[in-house]
Amino acid sequence: MPHATHPPSPGLQALILCGPGLSLNTFTSTPSTLPKCLLPVANRPMLWYPLDWCHRMGIYDITLITPADAAPPLEAALRSHPVLTSLSGPRPEVLAPKGLEMTSGTAELLRLGEVQRAIKGDFVVLSCDFVSEIDGSRVMQQWMSLNPALAAASFSRRKGGLAVYYPTHGREGISSKKDETDFVATVPFSRPNVMPPTGSLRQGVEEVVMVMPTDTLNDTLDENKQALPIRQTLLAKHGNVKIRTKHRDAHVYFLPLWVKDFAARNEKFDSISEDVLGWWAKAGWQQGLAEKLGLDEVLAGKRSTDDEAANGGSVDEHEEVDATALSSTRSAPAPGRQPPQAFATRVGNSTVPPPRPKLAVPPLLAYMQPASPTQPLIRRIDTAPQLASLSLHIARLPPSDTSPLAHEHKIHPSATIGQQTRISQEDCLIAENVTIGTRCNIKESVVGANCEIGSNVRLTKCVLMDGVVVGDGVQMVGCIVGKRARVEGSSAVGVKAGEAEVDGAAMKGKGKAKQKASAQSGGEDDDKTKLTECEIAPFFVVEAGTEAKGETMKAFDPEGEVGGDEDEDVDVGDEDNEE
Amino acid sequence: MAEQGGTAEQSKTVEEPKVSAVELKKRAKADKQARRAAQKEQEGAPAEVPPATNGAHQEPSAQGQGVQQDQKGKAAQAKGQQQPKPSKQGGQDVRPERGGPSQPQSIPPRSKAAPAAPSKELPKRDNSVVELLSHLYPIQRRPNLAGVSKDVHPAVLALGLQISTYEICGSSARCVAMLLAFKEAIQAYTTPRDTSLPRHLVSHHLSPQIDCLRSCRPLAESMGNAIRWLKKLIVELDPDKPEHEAKDFICEEIDRFVHERITVTDQAIAASARNQIRTGSVVLTYAKSAIVEKTILQAHEQGTRFRLIVVDSRPLFEGKRLATSLMRAGLEVQYVPFSGLAHVVKDATLVLLGAHSMLSNGRLQSRVGTASIALQAHKADVPVIVCCESVKFSGKVALDSIVLNEIAPPEELLLSPIPEKSPIHPAGVATTAVTGKSAVTVTSAAISKDASEDDEPAKLKTLHEWSSISNLRLLNPMYDITPAEYIRMVICEYGSVPPSSVPVVHRLANEGM
Repeated sequence: MPHATHPPSPGLQALILCGPGLSLNTFTSTPSTLPKCLLPVANRPMLWYPLDWCHRMGIYDITLITPADAAPPLEAALRSHPVLTSLSGPRPEVLAPKGLEMTSGTAELLRLGEVQRAIKGDFVVLSCDFVSEIDGSRVMQQWMSLNPALAAASFSRRKGGLAVYYPTHGREGISSKKDETDFVATVPFSRPNVMPPTGSLRQGVEEVVMVMPTDTLNDTLDENKQALPIRQTLLAKHGNVKIRTKHRDAHVYFLPLWVKDFAARNEKFDSISEDVLGWWAKAGWQQGLAEKLGLDEVLAGKRSTDDEAANGGSVDEHEEVDATALSSTRSAPAPGRQPPQAFATRVGNSTVPPPRPKLAVPPLLAYMQPASPTQPLIRRIDTAPQLASLSLHIARLPPSDTSPLAHEHKIHPSATIGQQTRISQEDCLIAENVTIGTRCNIKESVVGANCEIGSNVRLTKCVLMDGVVVGDGVQMVGCIVGKRARVEGSSAVGVKAGEAEVDGAAMKGKGKAKQKASAQSGGEDDDKTKLTECEIAPFFVVEAGTEAKGETMKAFDPEGEVGGDEDEDVDVGDEDNEE
Repeated sequence: MAEQGGTAEQSKTVEEPKVSAVELKKRAKADKQARRAAQKEQEGAPAEVPPATNGAHQEPSAQGQGVQQDQKGKAAQAKGQQQPKPSKQGGQDVRPERGGPSQPQSIPPRSKAAPAAPSKELPKRDNSVVELLSHLYPIQRRPNLAGVSKDVHPAVLALGLQISTYEICGSSARCVAMLLAFKEAIQAYTTPRDTSLPRHLVSHHLSPQIDCLRSCRPLAESMGNAIRWLKKLIVELDPDKPEHEAKDFICEEIDRFVHERITVTDQAIAASARNQIRTGSVVLTYAKSAIVEKTILQAHEQGTRFRLIVVDSRPLFEGKRLATSLMRAGLEVQYVPFSGLAHVVKDATLVLLGAHSMLSNGRLQSRVGTASIALQAHKADVPVIVCCESVKFSGKVALDSIVLNEIAPPEELLLSPIPEKSPIHPAGVATTAVTGKSAVTVTSAAISKDASEDDEPAKLKTLHEWSSISNLRLLNPMYDITPAEYIRMVICEYGSVPPSSVPVVHRLANEGM
């Protein structure tokens, strides 16, 4: 989709974290060939979604951070994948820091020297599995307009951050109870000065005071006899705390530069979402925490050096000029209050030192998307069911839709479709160079590029990634089939002319063998391959006549007939590469 | 039919999400033409009576308006008859609407200083367009980032957003923030080959930044003065100066400007104005002004004991912020909504006002509502003192708030978000009536009127549905003009001057630069 105009640069750089994809391990077990970020979601590599989202915001300075293993395939895909190369703008840079393992935490990643050097200004951190219908610039707009210090960028480093949380519930067809959630406690941010114009996200912006993943929450609950301890200071400072447990962190963070130092300073931080943001949010109200985390020095130290650099030390009084202090819609902060009556002398030295003007921790804001089916979609794809449901959701979008995710062609013109084949246009997506045999019935499915589907095939709610071969007469419901997997049907697959002869012959032979084997057990009907809600790993071959429900089919499973498949895998892979 | 058409058009103009620069230009052009037409007609109408007082001014001009309306209505009718049926559709579309003005109608009294937007109801060609006011109709403000020039510096972009959401509001705040953002933008600038910085910077780099800010909200007078100064500074630079030196020089000069014209000036004005506050004074102020705040705080620090009354109004409620910060400083503050003005003005011994701009005829342009405060204070013989930096002085002249004003989007008058479903069915009506009464003061009259006609549920209207009322257009002016007679004294950094000396100070301060 071409962009009409280039938006102005918002002066941000984006870091897209291309992680290992642990929960998608059926498809990502070998990151050196197919990393998670290249998994197709509705026929586009997953990475396309965050990249496109950034481009729409006007961010072209993008760094992909990935473990060294996954770097070569990623770079190759950026060079050659038609969807990724069709993105306008300069190609994103791939950064594979040395110390980065598949198991590294995200905050650890921020501390790595290479990443620290790569961050030169305010930045956005995204995960590669982020899919959003919401326009990034609308989110960014909130970050910019609620960050008074931004206007004088080099002047002051007291900028806040913005995270995005989306509701996991209330979305038919996409929400499921198994979705991961986070625990977020927020307080209302100051009221907007006037009613924000329609379409503004301002109403959803709140200030985060506590955040943790539900796992951590459960651990805390277990430790404390099913009670969640909350400090009184929180309630003393904020009277109106809202706790949400059904929202999930979208892993999109607009962060100011100082967060880099904040992460570097605190060695214990493991992940950005839990530790960096979690502690930052707490430091806003918990007494003494900001100092303990070194936030005071991060903020103050930064500030003084920058001021010197910017002003050249010539006109120092100007530090005090602050446009926001003059603004008529702000009230001055409480002037340095005298500490409350001094303690009795018995308390002695333990009294807090007369506090310097209390450290104002910049606010950590969050856009909490309201739960409503009419809201634009924000999702993270980190499990196979989500991958399937989201692919199908995108497939349902009409081509002329205003959604940035919609495809131009529901059925790509280069696809060959046999006679009497029925494809429900409104909820299917057929990619380039797909061949479909005769008398097929395809409903609510996504078929990836270069797939070959035989005759009499029935696909319902299936997601086929690239290059999948489906034999004749196969019935699949709710399956996710990995790249170049093969689902054999009742007769040989290689009916199509043009397929490599050797392979075709081999397949025929095999198919016949199978037929014989199955002929003993029953009639023709049993011969059909029927798969329901299965996940099939890339390059895996499902033999004819398999009937399965809710299984995960992977190579090297201790299930007997795997040995034969192994050769098959290699063959198919090689041959396809040559094509 | 006409009604529906009007509604559709209106909602279109209101809800249009994205406006490209081209469209904006077109619209501006159309506005200009309309304005010209209006001016021409104005010449024909009885010359506007220079208003002696605010109240006296209203009637004659309203009459003038009426006469004009009639004339125009007739003219329009005549025109319609003359037209030899250009095309059936066009003729039919236009005529019923043009016939409108000939019907007797009540022109609502023009309440210039009302805190809420005066609603004008005069059917014309476009049902709700009033020619006399057409130059005021809001030019769409930039609702989002779409269509901003690519050259705009991020700092300016952020500032533009903050200005349009009123995070940064107030003439001096905007001016300072703009100059600081320009500093960033200038540092990021590199001169292309074959040209020199003084020749290229202003026209190619600075003007997109200024346009971006202007599209977010019309520029304040102080910003205009500062921009003029900055342009002059850049153009007069020596073209042979190395680029980085030139940029550093400009930035230093900007710092100096901010320092001299705003920071130090504020201190000087506050130091001078605080002496007007004496022990036992009751100071009344309206909305929020940074200088007034500073003055009051300084007087408080000096040890003067006095009481403070803050009057406030919709939609920005800036007075709330002032009251908050003064309370934090330990002052005794009384916070009064605008409707309570007449009551509290009797207690006041001094009115301190901030300014958006001082006009050359000695009038004060300030947050809408100020003129009423000054009028009431004048009636009660309370001195009105304006604190204003010279950078806000202007060469412009305006007699009333209609000639020269900034109009904000009417949606900003709403207090709560527009409900997704418009409550047309009776069940929804009851609830909105309750919330409306407690929150939306402006519509309370409409609600109570409609509440009596419960049997017709569709009739109930709140402010939220204003756009569905044909022949209605809301204007949400930001400023109004206070006549010079009500102003006892203007305190600027050149001293305390009468309003009549404004042009002199303006010449001294802004034109000699």
